[in-house]
Amino acid sequence: MQKLVVIGAGMATGRLLEHLFEADPAAYEVTVFNAEPRGNYNRIMLSPVLSGEKSYAEIVTHDDAWYTANKVTCRFGERVVAIDRDRKVVTGERGEVPYDKLVFGTGSDPFIVPCPGHDLDGVVAYRDLDHTNRMVESAAMPGARAVVIGGGLLGLEAAAGLRLRGMEVTVLHLSGHLMDRQLDPAASYLLQKDLERRGIAVMTQASTKAIHGDGHVAHVELEDGTELPADLVVMAVGIRPSARLAREAGLEVGRAILVDAQMRTSDPDVFAVGECVEYAGHLFGLVAPLYDQAKVLAKTLLDEEDAFAVREVSTKLKVTGCDLFSAGDFAEGEGREDIVFRDPSRGVYKRLVIEADRLVGAVMYGDTADGNWFFGLIKDGTDISEMRESLIFGPAYQGGAAQDPLAAVAALPADAEICGCNGVCKGRIVEAVEGGATTLDAVRAETKASGSCGTCAGLVEQIMSVTLGDDFVLPAAKPVCPCTDLTHEDVRRLIKARELKSQPAVWQELGWNTPNGCHVCRPAVNYYLLADWPLDYRDDPQSRFVNERNHANIQKDGTYSVMPRMWGGITTPDELRAIADAADKYGVPTVKVTGGQRIDLLGVPKEQLPAIWGDLNAAGLVSGHAYTKGLRTVKTCVGTDWCRFGTQDSTGLGVKLEKMLWGSWTPHKVKLAVSGCPRNCAEATCKDIGIICVDSGYEIGVGGAAGMDLKPTEPLVKVVTEAEVFEWVVAFMQLYREHAKYLDRPYKWLAKVSLDWVRETLADPAERAALNERFAISQSVYQYDPWKEHTAAEQERRYQPLADLTLEAAE
Amino acid sequence: MDTVIDTTDRTFVEVAEIWVPEGDRLVWGGGAYGGLGGFEVASARESFGKGEGLPGNAWAEARPVVLKEFDGSYFKRTEAARAAGLTAAVAIPVFAGATLKAVLVVLCADDAERVGAIEVWAEGDGVLTLEDGYYGAASHFEWVSQHTQFPRGQGLVGGVWSAEAPILMRDLGSAYRFMRADSAGKAGLTNGLGLPIPVPGGRTYVLTLLSARSTPLARRFEIWDARTAKVGAKKEARLVDGICSREGPLWDPDNAGRERAVRIWQGPVGHALGSGLPVVESGSAAGGYAMMVALPIHAHGELSHVVAWYC
Repeated sequence: MQKLVVIGAGMATGRLLEHLFEADPAAYEVTVFNAEPRGNYNRIMLSPVLSGEKSYAEIVTHDDAWYTANKVTCRFGERVVAIDRDRKVVTGERGEVPYDKLVFGTGSDPFIVPCPGHDLDGVVAYRDLDHTNRMVESAAMPGARAVVIGGGLLGLEAAAGLRLRGMEVTVLHLSGHLMDRQLDPAASYLLQKDLERRGIAVMTQASTKAIHGDGHVAHVELEDGTELPADLVVMAVGIRPSARLAREAGLEVGRAILVDAQMRTSDPDVFAVGECVEYAGHLFGLVAPLYDQAKVLAKTLLDEEDAFAVREVSTKLKVTGCDLFSAGDFAEGEGREDIVFRDPSRGVYKRLVIEADRLVGAVMYGDTADGNWFFGLIKDGTDISEMRESLIFGPAYQGGAAQDPLAAVAALPADAEICGCNGVCKGRIVEAVEGGATTLDAVRAETKASGSCGTCAGLVEQIMSVTLGDDFVLPAAKPVCPCTDLTHEDVRRLIKARELKSQPAVWQELGWNTPNGCHVCRPAVNYYLLADWPLDYRDDPQSRFVNERNHANIQKDGTYSVMPRMWGGITTPDELRAIADAADKYGVPTVKVTGGQRIDLLGVPKEQLPAIWGDLNAAGLVSGHAYTKGLRTVKTCVGTDWCRFGTQDSTGLGVKLEKMLWGSWTPHKVKLAVSGCPRNCAEATCKDIGIICVDSGYEIGVGGAAGMDLKPTEPLVKVVTEAEVFEWVVAFMQLYREHAKYLDRPYKWLAKVSLDWVRETLADPAERAALNERFAISQSVYQYDPWKEHTAAEQERRYQPLADLTLEAAE
Repeated sequence: MDTVIDTTDRTFVEVAEIWVPEGDRLVWGGGAYGGLGGFEVASARESFGKGEGLPGNAWAEARPVVLKEFDGSYFKRTEAARAAGLTAAVAIPVFAGATLKAVLVVLCADDAERVGAIEVWAEGDGVLTLEDGYYGAASHFEWVSQHTQFPRGQGLVGGVWSAEAPILMRDLGSAYRFMRADSAGKAGLTNGLGLPIPVPGGRTYVLTLLSARSTPLARRFEIWDARTAKVGAKKEARLVDGICSREGPLWDPDNAGRERAVRIWQGPVGHALGSGLPVVESGSAAGGYAMMVALPIHAHGELSHVVAWYC
């Protein structure tokens, strides 16, 4: 009988031995070394053991009786210290064992973030039963706090388990969304929501700087200065194949132990399986390929033919109540198409990625019933062209007719709840319709259905259509874009009402039918989010038009214009010299004085932008935002300082207004002007906001235009003091910011909401104060010079030619 | 399922019975009474109006109801229960939306000797607190439970609340394993099944069944997932978790979606799935156990889960 020595009693070697004994129990005399003081257990079920939903006894796959029955010599709790391949001997801590064949199943080691404090007591990895038990013991302390570093599969299972154990848990994840290797942002958004509903705090883009404590961990410090108290820190940031022993034994090692398709290493009598191997450039972390390897190696050891092949793997999270499924490749790319299904009411998101009539990726959250079917299509490379239209609905719908949404509504029972906000069921709506309510407004007035968040409005209309038949025509409101059926107004309202504070939240909760929106809706949604949630949402440059992304206006030859701000049209010799020097230094072909009372440098190549901005910044000049949907210029006349007719300090007022308003994002560009007398030299009466100074004070007009449309301002209010001008102008600006449709100039917005409504709203001092306060909050975030942050050296590379434009918005 | 089992231990629950609506009354829908034939006869001829007796109160109050004393209470079968040695009962209403499907009643005996717990937790002020419970002889554990509250996600109870799904926990008594572990360990409690009890009005109720080794509430627990989101349009349920004193673990060891499945009307769990009503069986129909209960949970407009226990 040949001697087989196995190093490591993990899942791969355990399965190997099962196959071996099943096929030929007399082929080998087996010795198993294991550093852990126990035999093989189902490591993938450690998370339920941590949470208490499984016991260790349940996950033991091979107990003492099994090893005894198969005559395995167990060297458990004993590390292998060396291998002498010439003598064919394995040396353990308690002595040598000769081998004819040797199998490495050394698995992997957890990666520990090498930050200061990583070696404190209370910092644990998450890899084996001992780690699990340490975590469970930490959870025994009432009110104990855990910080889990790593928002991948293992980290989140640890977090959920520790929470179930009663700990206060915070998950730190370096990337922008959880499980970024397995999920897209939309699915990750739902997962994060689910975890937060369990009381788990999640911080993305959180980089750990240090772990502090006197002997034992006390708190975790993040790069942004945040400090999180912690009694336990779990490092779940990845694994590294454990290949040191193999390397020391002289075997060929790349990122892991190199093996061929028969799991043979560079030594023909030495084999390897599991997480410690590298095959054809692949490393392995999930159990399915490990079992394949075990099966192949068992045959190899019995001199039978077989070959390991890499196959697709799928992922599931073992957290009760979190249903997610991910398989294949779901990155966006040329030639790839997405099919997206969302059901916001059930928290369901499904996305299929198709390339060349083959399903290449599937991500699902909330409804994973068809996960394995999609996985099969991916693995088999099935041609899906024939079922493309109904593919997202799963196998049950293949070959069937497309679902008629009205049929589904008709089938709803009378007690089916339609309006969750107001608790209105289908029967009540039908009753109202039959009683004479034949418009949505009438049904809303009668029943309150769709009167709150409004998401059920479409459903209510469908019920009306089913009830009234041909007498009711479903209204055709103009949606934002083909990604949604909702109008801009609906989206704005729902973002506020439902407190949606991220793009994935909007896509999911409002049922977008694309993964990330498109070049039409993304800039609009980005604006709505930053306007409504300035402290929660971060502006997404990828959702901005090219000019806003590059902080300069692109010209017809591909170069850009650079226009520094001149507050109220006032400049100085030093500023003019700096502009002239920059024009000379960068060979600016055209220098133009604009209608907005500033100087435009035209024809600057993109790669020179950071440098020229840097030079202008050094002279105290900041971006003029000539490219934004935001405040552009405040044009002034010279006013009482110089003009014989001036009634007020129009220049000073204009400068102060510009310094107050600059940097704010608005639905469209906003131009101001302040004229010192009714002669109106600053042309204030065709601006979005125009102020005419008069002897008795200031006349504020709004809604002017002098572009494609020509329109004079309409009087908003007349006030006496400058302070009142600021209060009213800011209040108007904020009201416009909060209510207008994206890309509506103020005059278009006013035509929709009426100037009377605006006057009435702003006439309330409390409302004006609240609008001013909200504007100030927004400015605390967004009033900064974008040039300044883009002139730093690390930013310059952004202005070099680049390739990946998959998420970019409109050009 | 093996039919030879050790039933020498006395179980925590003596009787399980079902009451189903018929017109404006709840009528007897079967049950498992062990050797308590007298109580069975008394029950079979009984019916309850809304608010009448224990099942009628669970219906009227739309929540699980615990009755620890029969004497002087609204319990209608006090004489027969006393003759059978039954001392306490828990009524669990099964609602599908606003519709009452049935009321499951379990009755226990010898509360000075048997250890176990059937608890009702209710949400208030953002946490779950104990609304009522029957603990048999586990009086210290009862006291601890009365002074414990669970936020979302914490412990068996908070876990069920946040997951909106039944959860089966093991080794409740191990020093570190359960929110009330120390006392649970002293009481000899082992496994705990927690399940949401959806009721009209939307108030959150979580029911727990905690089993002790000496007087097991059940020898086998099963959680079957029947949500469309899990099994698709197929009319079946999958055994997502379970533990059996004879068969050991009942879950898919590879977490690969290869759980055991039952189709509607296939066995007692399939009957619960098909009818939407609780099922109580005994003898061979209960897989050789003295009694089995399959309790369906209706949530979000569908039959979402079936929990089953065998004793």
